[in-house]
Parts: sequence; C-alpha cells; structure tokens
Amino acid sequence: MKMKPASKIYTAFIFLFLFAPIVILLIFSFNASKSLSVFSDPSLKWYRELFRDEETLRALQNTLVLAVTASILSTIMGTAAAVGIHRLRKKYLKAAYDTVTNIPMMNPDIITGISLMLMFVFVGRLFGLSTSLSFWTMLIAHITFCLPYVILQVLPKLQQMDPALPEAAMDLGCTPVRAFFRAEVPEILPGIITGLMMAFTLSLDDFVISYFTQGNGFQTLPIRIYNMTKKTVTPKMYALATIIFFVILALLLLTNLVDEDDSRRMKEARAQKRAARGKPPRRADSNKRSLAIVGAILGLTIVIIAAIGITRPKPVELNVYNWGEYISDGSEDTLDTIQAFEQWYLEEYGYPVKVNYETYASNEDMYAKLKSGAVSYDLVIPSDYMIARMAAEDMLVPLNYGNIPNYQYISDSFRGLYYDPDNLYTVPYTYGVIGVIYDANQVDEEDLGSWDLMWNEKYAGSILQFNNSRDAFGTAMYRAGADVNTTDHAVWDAALEALAQQHPLVKSYVMDEIYNMMESGEAAIAAYYAGDYFTMIDAESDNVDLQFYYPEPTNFFVDAMCIPKGCQHQELAEIFINYMLSEEPAVANAEYIYYASPNRLVYENEDYIDEMGEETMEILYRFTDDFSDLFNRYAYRNLDQETLTYINDLWETLKIS
Amino acid sequence: MKRRGDLAARWSLAPYSVWALLFILVPLVFVAYYAFTDTDMHFTFDNIRKFFTATSTVTGDNGETLQVRTYMVIFWRSVKLAVISTVVCLLMGYPIAYIIARATPKVQKTVITLIMIPMWMNFLIRTYAWMTILQDTGILNNFLASLHLGRMHIIGTESAVVIGMVYDYLPYMILPIYSIMAKLDLKLLEAAHDLGCNGISTLRRVVFPLSLPGVVSGVTMVLIPSISTFYISQKLGNGKFFLIGDAIEGQYVANNLHFAAAIAFILMVILLIAMALMKRYTDKSVAGGV
Amino acid sequence: MYLFTSHSRGLWLFSFVKLRGEELGMKKIIELRGISKAYDGETVLDHIHLDIYDNEFLTLLGPSGCGKTTTLRMIGGFEQPDEGDVMFLGERINDLPPHKRNVNTVFQKYALFPHLNVFDNVAFPLKERKVPKDEIEQKVTEMLKLVKLSGFEKRNVTRLSGGQQQRVAIARALVNHPQVLLLDEPLGALDLKLRKDMQQELKNIQKATGITFVFVTHDQEEALSMSDTIVVMSEGRIQQIGTPTDIYNEPQNAFVADFIGESNIVDGVMREDYKVTFSGHTFQCVDKGFAKNEPVDVVVRPEDVDIVPLEKGMLRGLVTSVTFMGVHYEIIIDIGGFKWMIQTTDFVAEGEQVGLFIEPDAIHIMKKSEYSGMFGDYSSFSMELDELSDAESEDAE
Repeated sequence: MKMKPASKIYTAFIFLFLFAPIVILLIFSFNASKSLSVFSDPSLKWYRELFRDEETLRALQNTLVLAVTASILSTIMGTAAAVGIHRLRKKYLKAAYDTVTNIPMMNPDIITGISLMLMFVFVGRLFGLSTSLSFWTMLIAHITFCLPYVILQVLPKLQQMDPALPEAAMDLGCTPVRAFFRAEVPEILPGIITGLMMAFTLSLDDFVISYFTQGNGFQTLPIRIYNMTKKTVTPKMYALATIIFFVILALLLLTNLVDEDDSRRMKEARAQKRAARGKPPRRADSNKRSLAIVGAILGLTIVIIAAIGITRPKPVELNVYNWGEYISDGSEDTLDTIQAFEQWYLEEYGYPVKVNYETYASNEDMYAKLKSGAVSYDLVIPSDYMIARMAAEDMLVPLNYGNIPNYQYISDSFRGLYYDPDNLYTVPYTYGVIGVIYDANQVDEEDLGSWDLMWNEKYAGSILQFNNSRDAFGTAMYRAGADVNTTDHAVWDAALEALAQQHPLVKSYVMDEIYNMMESGEAAIAAYYAGDYFTMIDAESDNVDLQFYYPEPTNFFVDAMCIPKGCQHQELAEIFINYMLSEEPAVANAEYIYYASPNRLVYENEDYIDEMGEETMEILYRFTDDFSDLFNRYAYRNLDQETLTYINDLWETLKIS
Repeated sequence: MKRRGDLAARWSLAPYSVWALLFILVPLVFVAYYAFTDTDMHFTFDNIRKFFTATSTVTGDNGETLQVRTYMVIFWRSVKLAVISTVVCLLMGYPIAYIIARATPKVQKTVITLIMIPMWMNFLIRTYAWMTILQDTGILNNFLASLHLGRMHIIGTESAVVIGMVYDYLPYMILPIYSIMAKLDLKLLEAAHDLGCNGISTLRRVVFPLSLPGVVSGVTMVLIPSISTFYISQKLGNGKFFLIGDAIEGQYVANNLHFAAAIAFILMVILLIAMALMKRYTDKSVAGGV
Repeated sequence: MYLFTSHSRGLWLFSFVKLRGEELGMKKIIELRGISKAYDGETVLDHIHLDIYDNEFLTLLGPSGCGKTTTLRMIGGFEQPDEGDVMFLGERINDLPPHKRNVNTVFQKYALFPHLNVFDNVAFPLKERKVPKDEIEQKVTEMLKLVKLSGFEKRNVTRLSGGQQQRVAIARALVNHPQVLLLDEPLGALDLKLRKDMQQELKNIQKATGITFVFVTHDQEEALSMSDTIVVMSEGRIQQIGTPTDIYNEPQNAFVADFIGESNIVDGVMREDYKVTFSGHTFQCVDKGFAKNEPVDVVVRPEDVDIVPLEKGMLRGLVTSVTFMGVHYEIIIDIGGFKWMIQTTDFVAEGEQVGLFIEPDAIHIMKKSEYSGMFGDYSSFSMELDELSDAESEDAE
C-alpha cells in the first residue's frame, strides 16, 4: 500500500521531532568552543579529545560490556523461562509467573533501582563486605530489568508455534534438549532476536537503575555524563553520540544491501501468494537477515570492547573518587595527570599502578555511596563541610604526612581550617569563592555590588539560582547577614521566605545548565564559583559580555584530598596526593579546573600566572592572604541530621511553590 | 501427575525462578522493610506518615499564603505531567503506528528501525540537546524570530517537561501499538468498509478496539517511567518542577534512605493498584468488544 | 527392521483376513495393560486393554474426547499412564522417552519443520542418527518416491498443498523404518476428494512396507474402508474391537451401532430365541441366547428396511421428510412417535403412509447398556446439523 501525502507529511513531522536533538548533537560535536548553545567555528577537536580520553573510552567499554553480557544472559535465561512458563499446565502457576514477570515492567525503574540497591547494601553489610556494589550488582540489575522483555517476546512465539513440532522432533529421534534446539528454536528465533535486541537497547540506554546500583571499579557512560553536572557536559559526549549514530546507520545500510536479493524473493513470494492460497512466511529468510544484523552488532561491539580493552588491568589499583571534570585529563593538549602519575610511578618504583578514576555529582552523592558501604575508595576529594562530617563520623583515615613532603608548599592560609584543625586528615586540592556573574549588556551598573542583584525585580526571568539547597539557602542567608550554619529553624524559615520571594524572578534552578544559559545570554544573573566564570567567558556568545563581582559576605570553600576508611592502599594514595602537589601536575590541574590553588608551586609559577592573565589572577587569588579568617567565618559547616532534614523539607517546599 | 512437560518446565524455569525470587521479589520486601523502619532499623510508621502529612507554606497565585501537603502536591504534579505526556504520546504515536502498519513491509522495517535509533544514544545527552533547542535564545526561538513569528517561552515551563517526556517515551508508545496493528487482518478493514463504515468509523469501531491491547501496553510503558523520571524535570523544567522522582533521588542523596524507600513504597503500591484496575477494566472491555 | 522388504508381497493377503492376529498366532507388537489416565481429576482413559499385532492396520475410532488421541500419544511416548503398563514386544516401556521408541508419528497438522525444506524434513531423523550423507540422500529419495513427491526436494514445506504436506509427513515418519507408525487424524485437514485418494494411498503404503499402522480418526467411513481392526472408543473406554464387518454388522451396544453408520435403535423385548418384539410387532431374527422377555436394544440399518405397500408392511408409518442423496433417498418415517431413517432408491412422497418390511438377518439384537435410549431416533435429524456437529468435533480435537 502506498502512503498518502498526508501520511507522509505526518511521518516527516514525527521524524523531525525524534531527530531534532540528534541533529543538534551532531552539529555541536563539530563546535570549536565548549559551548552547546553558541556555535563558533567548525572543528574536529572534540573527536580528537574523545579518542584521547581514556576514562570516557573505558566508560564506553564498560557500557558495552555490560549491555552485551546482560542482554545475552537475560536472553538465555529469559528464553528458558518462557519455554518453562509455556509448558506449565497449572493455571495458577502460570498466573503467578505472569505477575512476577510483569513486576519490573510495571514498577518505575527508580523503584527497581532503589529496591536492588537497598538489598545489595543490606546483604553487603550483613557479610561485612567493604564494597557491596560492583560490576556484578550492576549486571544483576540489568539482567533483572531486561528479563521480562525477553520473556514477553519469546512467549507469544511459543504460543503461536504448533505444539507438535518438538514432539515430532522427539518422535524422530531427538532427545528433549535436541528437539528444543532443532525444532523449537528455529521457530521462536524471531522472538529471541527481538528480545535480545530490546535487552541490549534497554541496557545501553539505562541510567536510573545504573545510578542506584553502580559500584566502584565500574562506571558506565550514562553515569559519567550525569556526574558532569557540576561542571559542564563536554562536547566529547556529543562526538561520541554522533559516532554511535553513524555506526548504527552504516550497519543498517549494510544490512539493507544484504537485503536486496531478499526483496526480489519477496516479490516472487507475493506473486505466489496471489496464485495459491496460504501464506508464505519467508521465515527462514527474515531469520537470516535478523541474524545478520544481530551478528554485525555483536561483532562490532566486541571489536570495540577489545580495541578499548588494550589497556590491560595492572597489578596495583588505586581507586580515586572525584568530582566530574575535576582533574586535568589530557583534553585540549593539557597534561593527563593520571596517566602522568602512572608513568612516573612505574619509572620511580619499577612496578605498574592502575588508577581507577571515578566521578560523583555532589558531596552528598559521594557521602551516600561511601556511607552505605556500597563502595570503597582509596582517595576522595570532598568539600570542607563534608570533610568535617566524615571526620566526625570516623570515616577518614589520618594521613601519614611523611609520605607527602610536598605538603610544605601548601600555604599557611589553608592549614588548620575548621574542618581539620589539627591537620590530620586532609591536603587541600582547590579552593574557591562564590561570586555573582552577570551579563553587562543586560544589567545596569548601579545595580551591582551585592546579593540584592539576585532579588532585583528589574531582572525578573533572567536570574539563575543554585539547584542545590545549601548553596541556594546560602545566597539568601549571606544577603540577610545570617549565620549559614545556624540550627535555629527560624533563621532557615526566614531564608526560605526570601527564596520564595525570589522564586517568581528566577528563570531556572541550575547546576551545569548555567554554562549554556549564561554563555548564550539566555539568563543575565547567576551566582556561581569564580573559576567557572572564566570557563564561561571563553565560550560566551558575541552579544554577551559576562562580568563578575564578589558580594559580601559570601561563601568560601575548600575541596581537599582525604583517604576514607576502608581504603586498600593508603601509602599509594599518599604517594598519589604528593604527586598531585608537585609542580607540573598541580599547575595542569589548576589550569584545567580554573579554580584557585592553595599550592605555592602553582600560584607563584610564572607560566601559570601568564596563562591565567592578570585579571583572572586578581579575581581568583584575591583572598589568599586572609583566607583562613574569612573561611572560618563564612564557610559552610557540617549540620546535624535533624537540621539537614529540615532544610531538605524546606527545599521541597520551595520547589513545589 | 508425572508429565515430561512438567519436568522440562521445571528445569528450564529453575534459574528464572531463583532469579525472580532473589532479584525481583526480595528487593521489594526490602523497600517495604526500609519504608517501615528508622535508621536504627526499628519499626516505625513515621516515614509513611511524613509522606501524607508533611505540610509546606506556599504563596498562592494571588499572593495569599496557603498550607499544602508537600508530597501530595509533588505526587499530583507528577501524575498530571505523566498523564499529559501519555495522552500526547498516544495522540502522536497512534496515527504514526497506523500509518507504518499499513505501509509496505520494507518501509515498515526501515521506519521502525529509524524510530529505535535515538534510543541507542544516551537519553541524558538527548535531553541535554533539547535544552539547546527550547531555551529562550535557542534554536526554535531563533527560527521563529527569523520568520517574524515572535518568540515562545518554553524552557522551564510544564510544556518543556512534557516535550522532554514525550520525546523520550514516544517510541515506547509507537512500538507496541504498531506490533498489534501490523497483525491486523486487512480483510477486517475491507469487511468494515463493506458493511458501510467510512474511514473514521472504521478506525473507531474496528481498528481501535482491536488495537486496544497495544494501546494498553503503550500507555503503561509511557506512564510508568514518566511518573518517576527525575532527569528530564531537572534539565528541561529549569529545576522548577520537582517531581516524585526528584523527591526520591533527593532523599537518597540526602542519605534519608528510609524516607526514600517510603516514597518508593507508596508510589509502588499506588501504581500497582492503578495497573490492576486498568487491567481489569481493559480485559473487560476487550472481552466485550468495547 | 528391514523385515518388511521380504514379507511385503505376501503380507497384503492378511488385510483380507477377517480374523484377528491372535488367532493366527501373529506377533503382538504393543500391549496396553489396564491403562488409566486423568487430567486434573478428569478421567481420560479408564483401564484400557488393547493388543496390537504385527503388520496390522488398526484404527482407533471414536468421537472427540473419547481418549483415542491420548492412547496414541501413550504409545508414542508423549504421555505416561497413571496406571497400567505399555508393553512393546513384551517389554515395559512406560518411561521410555519418545526418541528411544521404535515408533513414529504422523501428526494431526503434520508438524513439518517450517524452517527446513522437503528434503531436510525427511532427512531430519537420519541426520539425528548421524547416517552418512550419501545414505541419507538415497533413503530420502526412496521415501519421496514412495509418497510420490520426487522432484519436490528443494521446496519450502510451507508452500506445499495440504496433501503434499501430508505426504512429506508420512515420508519423514517412515524413513526410519519404525515398527509401528502412529497416525493422528492425518486426513482431517484435507478436502473430501483428496481424503479418499489419500486413504487408498495410505493403505497401499501400509501394504508395501508391512509396517503396523495405528490410525486415529473420528470418521467411521474412513475407519471402515481402511482398517484391518477397528477399536471403537467412547468416554475413555473401549466399546468394541473387531474387523470392520464385525463392527458394522454386530455392534455390541447402542453407542457402536449409532457411531458406525446410520442406525435405527429401538427398545425391544426378546420373546425367545430368534423372536423379538419392537414397535408393536414381533419379528423373526437370527439372535439367540437371551433370557426370556429380556429387554434389549434392536438395531436396524436404514438400508436394510424396505418400503412396501401399506398392507404388506410389518410396520406402518408416515413419511415426514424425503431428501434426495444422489444414489438413494433418505426418508424419515414416523412410527408411533419414533422416527426411523430409511435409505432406499424408491421414491415416496412426503405425507404418505407407507409399510415397512425388515428381513430377519437385518435385525441386530444387543444387550442393554449405559448407552441404551441415547441414540437411534432421527426426530431431530437434518443433514446440515449433522455436518455442523461433525465440524465441531473436529475443532474440539
């Protein structure tokens, strides 16, 4: 049947809708700048970066390994289960299996994820395991949610099949098992293949369940992308998406070519159909075709896995858990500090070390993972208040500073801070100050200078506020001159009132989205970390003129390296810390992250000063000398659980108004 | 009764049975367990009570202060957006499924594969790309402006969240409906025409009732994930549309595992009841031919 | 296994022998000893005893749900009895799985493997036994020749006609030279003309190969025309075992009488040996050995009743319906409220009063059974209804 024009137009519309974002990804993957909203110059830079980014490639490899393993295992188990269910005679048993099979489909994936996570953590705790989440838990979770799809694809094929077929095979001399493979499998193969493809696709695309069940040592692409939310999602990811798109397209074209003579056969078949009654199902042919597709995809996947997997696991592994995009990773011709460490270590100590570098999206995210006992790391880089909390809860190991001689280069301003008054647990990594970023083209000069700008009704709809409770409440409390660490509910209530009052003016509550919105002029005012302001300037659109000031008072923060309890290689972690403090990697990291460094080797380094420029240095390092005072006065402190719960409740209140 | 079939059934079912017990059923028990315990694992109703009774003071449309039940508001908002998204998906997906099902087999295969392609690219990334399209200075608005059609404010509105959900879940609506429609006997349509139905009444009286099982599974497959999503609302809703998924994730990140489990538990119970009702209703109406 | 080749020529003589194998000292191949089977508490087979002899064409005949297919599946190894034993050449094979039994089946809807072509379907059991390639080639060719499908080797089985599929199924089941071939309503899906041809052909194949055929059908004509032995079954029990003529001429109860051919079954009383009273008249008959005045069932076949002028009739009745059937007329006659069916080449008009004449040897006397009074009255008879109920029973199978 030919399509009518109206149908064609409608189909085109649907495809426009489905493919619009993919076109966007495609275009911006060729963008020279880091922005996803402003296209500057065409460039292949991000593709180069992608192939240099070992962590992303490993995440891709992990994703594929997981998808292939999960889909194959769930297809095998699901097919066997479908066969079993099909042969059940008792109605109530059949109904019971139907219900159980439907549960993972009827349950939102967030519930499936949480339920599995709760169980894994509980069981892990029961057996006193240092890590309860791992590749295996993720694999279990993926198989679990893929199973019903496989079963529901295979079962109908079994029901359509002539039940005498397997009997005929047995009658003709096959054992029951051989009868299944020789007579039944060819019949239900289309269902098995569809089930396999669905399982593969679902596993590849899953984020939510992975998010709850991921453990250390195994991070997938979706998790990696999600954890980029404090910094910005790098265009490398668009490049990756684009490559995936073209690979799939090529595969499809290829199988369509294979299909050519198939379609000729189909014409014959149709002619025959008209002539004789009865249907010519062409089953064998379409089976061959689907098998070809599946084979091609699996083959290609394995090739990719193998290609990435050239980096063989090494004897000693150091598990590092850091913020997303928070280390110089070799992109844009920077130094890959992790790789550099591995090389240096090999030369220095004569045996190889492998750094497993994984990322988290927030302090709370990291804390939740560590606290649940789900994961174990050798090194984490939390912020001040979280360090205080972890120290108070005995989650940190005192450092042996003897292994960290470079600690001497840490300026005095960053020693003895409240979260670690006796310098036991931490080595500061970066620090920063929250300031207000504004678009000079949209904001008048007389309105600048204080927090009031963020409450200025003149700019209603152009203001961005933090999308995390502590920072958002912070802006209101600094503005009111209140103590951001109070346990007095009344103070928090007052801050909520201020935020509620601000709510109609706010365009958006943001984390990483701030980059897009500020760079493109979508919004005019935002509070964020000083260093990130410079990242934005680099990518700002022509009609945008981003500027920056520090309101008073404001938030000061330090992110410091520490070693959590349960770490496997303390000394190695200390050597790693020491290495990161040495001049070359420290400078590279500081240049990459754009945050201020507490390390004299960095901020007194001439190349670094040149690279940053005078204005940047002035803004970034304005508070270096009296940092200790300001920090102890204004930084966030650890709040008790009761207050935290109270804030969380207030935050939800704000979000529903 | 010793039957070979039963024996084989038991063996091939064994791995799945064990798996389903350990990884489908037991985890749900853990959700219930955590939902009804406090941090010391003592039994408590507090988490459940908090869900139903926690109140917030918000400012209404006319500046008046209102007392609302926090999680009720969040829950109904989630339900509302999910229902809207599902309806939009159905309205958009049904015609396309019908069109595809009536195309030549080759076109069918191509179009279905094309619909599935986006699912191979991570949905986080695709959602991210929608931000670029929808924002006020985004591609859509620039396009409209270049046609002198004025700008539309979409990002950060409910519409943006709905667009995001519809985009992500539309294939889940199209595919089940299509697979049912593709099996429809064309002779039935001819019979309907023969019996005096025009195109629209054929659709209403023959095609739709017959495709109902596909519609039901499509609706389920869209409604369930859109009720519980948390990424789309964060990115496209400008963080202003706090949904039940955001609440669960927020509680998880804030280390309130027990309350997160309680929300999940309540959501699960409500959904299971809703699905059971829907199944009963549709079973009846399918059996009765609508 | 190759026995049949030497015997085949002489053996077809046996098909005309009216005695059962036992009397001839033939070899028992299969014995069913007290087989019972129930599904979910519902009895399907109720203490079945049956011997099957070498080289015979045995038919299990009965309406749907009578247990004939279950019996067949038990021989095939697809079902296990709850009670009783299945014996094969004297050995108990209750727990022997199908693939170890030297028995093959032609399934109801053929169960050809749709993913294999004609050749590969027939070669399937040989490949399973790892027979050398050239031997496979030779045997398959031989078999296809036997079922007259030479030249169809490469054809897709799903594109064959019903009759051709049937032949492939037979070839496939025979290629292993089983000692017994089980056929489960193999002709049910074919149209009438083709069915007749296939009946003849199956018979020929059986003769040619000398293999024991156990054939399941609900079609009594088919059973009568093909079988050496017919086993009539109902409600999980065997009602009668015998040659076609025995079964037709000497039905043991009302059920068999009704199921095999058309029958008028009326209540009668055995006055003494060779004298029976029914429908208000006392007839001469050929039966004896009943008690005096014992109530009995009397069977009279429609073709055995002659229409005679009113005054010459032993019985008188009113013609209520006349249907032309091609060769004969089917006439329903009301005799004292009981409707008789009569098949005759003489035409009578509807509404006419006629006389009926019955020869003594046309009257069959049966002992009263649980089936008495259930059959034999044609008051609700109509050709169309008959066909409808036939179709239903086929569907239910």
